[in-house]
Amino acid sequence: MRWHLLALGAIVVLGAAAAFGLRDAVTLDLFFTLLLYAVLGQSWNWISGYAGNISFGHAIFFGCGAYASALCVTHGLSPWLAIPAGALVAALLALVTGFPTLALRGHYFSIATIAVAALVDAFVRTQPWLGRANGFELPIQSGWAALQFPDKGPYVLLALALFAIVQLATIALERSRLGYYLRALRANHAAAASVGIDERRWKLIAFAWSATMAAAAGVLYAQYTLFVDPPSTIALAISIDIALIGVVGGIGTLWGPAAGALVYVVLAKGVALRIGGTGKGYDLVIYGAIICLIAAWKPHGIVGTVVDALRRRRGAADIPPGATGTA
Amino acid sequence: MNAATSSGTAALLEVRGLSKRFGSLRALDGVDLDVAEGSLTGLIGPNGAGKSTAFSCIAGADKPTAGSVRFRGREIAGLAYHRVAALGIGRTYQIVQTFADMTVLEAVTTAALLRHPHLRDAVAYAQDVLAFAGLADKRYRLGRALTIADKKRLEVARALATDPSLLLLDEVMAGLTPSECHDAVGLLRRIIARGITVLMVEHVMEVLMPIADHIVVIAAGKTIFTGAASEAVRDPRVIEAYLGSPLEHREIAEHKP
Repeated sequence: MRWHLLALGAIVVLGAAAAFGLRDAVTLDLFFTLLLYAVLGQSWNWISGYAGNISFGHAIFFGCGAYASALCVTHGLSPWLAIPAGALVAALLALVTGFPTLALRGHYFSIATIAVAALVDAFVRTQPWLGRANGFELPIQSGWAALQFPDKGPYVLLALALFAIVQLATIALERSRLGYYLRALRANHAAAASVGIDERRWKLIAFAWSATMAAAAGVLYAQYTLFVDPPSTIALAISIDIALIGVVGGIGTLWGPAAGALVYVVLAKGVALRIGGTGKGYDLVIYGAIICLIAAWKPHGIVGTVVDALRRRRGAADIPPGATGTA
Repeated sequence: MNAATSSGTAALLEVRGLSKRFGSLRALDGVDLDVAEGSLTGLIGPNGAGKSTAFSCIAGADKPTAGSVRFRGREIAGLAYHRVAALGIGRTYQIVQTFADMTVLEAVTTAALLRHPHLRDAVAYAQDVLAFAGLADKRYRLGRALTIADKKRLEVARALATDPSLLLLDEVMAGLTPSECHDAVGLLRRIIARGITVLMVEHVMEVLMPIADHIVVIAAGKTIFTGAASEAVRDPRVIEAYLGSPLEHREIAEHKP
């Protein structure tokens, strides 16, 4: 655990230095996107990685935060209020979706997340108070109270803080009853029940926390772009991006989502910045090819592969818990 | 046949008329059995008699179609699996069910968390259980990397870590070498000495005969005999249903205590 905390501390220090030191808007934007996706990937990782129930609708929880932010600001309320409000709505949505489906075998949960996401998307597009398909443009303000800044530096700091909180929460998860129970349920639900684990109860707790994290990221995103509409927040494409980040990085690992977000940002955004302008979509071809390669060769993702290699090198017998990303 | 307790001690587990159908198949068709507190009861029967199904129905993994299962006088038939475990019934699986990507210590810790919600306490308790079960030196191995004997031992340790008052053991000796069996019997004796009541399904008769206080024989989903092990091998119904031909009977009887 000490190494995880040191690594996190190093990232926070370097990130803060970058936020204060860098002036290049493009680089800061990449940093912000990287941290935001790392948070979203970790949020997804709680229910889909540790608990093993793949969510294909995670963008709706992100959307809960973004829309809560838009509604608060356009109604003259503090955007800080959007964090608890958006998180609460997201957690309730997670409980309603998860209650009938999380304890079912097979792919019911994944299908349910897609269905609920489609419903939410359709619902938002018909509701005038949610801006219909046009969405919201947030009025421009400035300062910490309004959670808006003329520079990108403070946004990177906020994203960094959120990332640090989410990583700390995940370190705590791995060392908690919930974390052990989720891994046991993922590995063998019948054996888990035989030692007294109530699958529905513990998975609902994980799903609610997962939704809460995504909603917090949504608030930050809305305050950053000052524009919220269905395609940029709750669309299926966003949900799939989040799931891909989790899978590419390595599901059920502490650093997997961050690694997945790095690959995503460097490839999907970095490559797009250089060659995406050609209009030929090479960036997407490259990103798609990498996902195919990982799916075919390294289904445990980047971090999962490293952990496996560590285990092999040191011999599985001698690795105490906490020495690897999955322990 | 009389399944009611005659020994005078209170029955920890009372099963009456337990039935389970899978479609038209009657896997269980009226099983009666009692397990006295502090005893070791053996459950035997020919292949397909319904031993594992009976275990699943008692542990809550399966819902019985009919019948009653009373644990400490409380009806538990049809109760959710995890709630039966929380009430104090631990079980192992005939086909080992490990938490594949967990180390031995992590798997047993997971079970210990039922009574010790704080991880630190659960780990400490799991260490005790592993020492008790003779797995302490393998605690950082992955469950899937163990030998069959150690996997079975892990199953027992995991069930023990939930602090059960009744332990259901499903063929924990199957597939073990004679020396591994000897070790397993040692563990079994320590479990009984700890005051845990045991109901065990076992095929290895010579293992069960000397240690079982009571034997329940089921055949074709019904209880056909209840009594002492030495009587079981002489009972004509048991001989007919389970022991088969007189030749086999002689072989088994030679192993009796």
